Amino acid sequence: METAGLPTCSLVLLKEHAQRTKPPRALFVPFPYGYALGRPNDPEFQHRVLRAALQLFSAPGPTLAEFSGAVDGPVQLVQASAVEPFSIERDPADDLTAMRGYYERWVEGHGGRTAVGNSGIPQRRFRGLVRFLEAYVAGTPADDPEIPHDIPVPLFIRFAADDLKAFMLEGRMEQRPQDHGNALHDWLWSETAIGRLLAQVARRLKQDGEEKAAFGIAR
Amino acid sequence: MPRIEDLSDVQRHAVLNFACFEYDSSPFVPLREPLQNVRLALVTTAGLHCRGDRPFSPGDQSYRAIPAHAPDRDILQSHNSIGFDRTAIYRDLNVTFPRDRLLELVQQGVIASRTSNDYSFMGAQTNPKRILEETGPEVARLLLEDGAGAAILTPT
Repeated sequence: METAGLPTCSLVLLKEHAQRTKPPRALFVPFPYGYALGRPNDPEFQHRVLRAALQLFSAPGPTLAEFSGAVDGPVQLVQASAVEPFSIERDPADDLTAMRGYYERWVEGHGGRTAVGNSGIPQRRFRGLVRFLEAYVAGTPADDPEIPHDIPVPLFIRFAADDLKAFMLEGRMEQRPQDHGNALHDWLWSETAIGRLLAQVARRLKQDGEEKAAFGIAR
Repeated sequence: MPRIEDLSDVQRHAVLNFACFEYDSSPFVPLREPLQNVRLALVTTAGLHCRGDRPFSPGDQSYRAIPAHAPDRDILQSHNSIGFDRTAIYRDLNVTFPRDRLLELVQQGVIASRTSNDYSFMGAQTNPKRILEETGPEVARLLLEDGAGAAILTPT
């Protein structure tokens, strides 16, 4: 973009890569992945980061600067394989029923904003999505959901998994506002039947040679 | 990320051996005017797009325009790797895509205005040749046509 004539300044989370790729102006922010501006819902802190980035536009040549300041957030995310798997007999669809009220309140409290949506299936029909994923894991035929955008099935499964995660995690953040980062992921993988189902989906995708889709769901 | 010394051995190894493009020098064009006269653009590699747009697939090197008038509730992220904590962006889009903050900077007179579109690419690219040669320069051209004087680039 710079070569095309547009001055740019990048926030970078990996100093070691910026040292090699050499962007024109880069501000290394020593924050966890997913936290480029440092702290969600902290405008003052986000402005500090932006001010430091904009300052680099006054440098006479290429610059790699470092932001001084640290934030909370998981450097290493809890993954499904790191926790004791959920062992209680429970229908994953019942998790959805249990979390629906919280989820809907979360969405209402955030001006209608939700991370749910990539599968194209409305959340009220997620019970059907769970049945589809269960059938995929079991290798039995299922009614195909209506897949939007003509995307391949493994990618649809990944988006479906992503939507179920977002539904559960947004509901959980409404239910337990004090929980952040790994407390939320730990809960998903170790205390919910949805988390268990998603880990099974990832294993099945891997068996089917769909490593890329599997890697994005659980490991 | 986090500082390299805070990573697990596996992650550190992956980062240090990642086959990114390496350059000996940086391209550089100076600002044409002082920051307070600049129309600023936001470009992210967070895999954001508007609801209804085709989601990004892994390794996708196309881009999506995000109009300034699109409300937050219409913006989705299809970069859904489990390598980062999505709950931060669930809470606040600005943690990755700080468009509310940039509007505040316009109000404060720090920058002049914002472009009518921002743009998103997909993250976690292993060989972003097409972005480098084609789609990246194309977005730069679109932004220059939109009057952009500079762009802030954010990762996730």
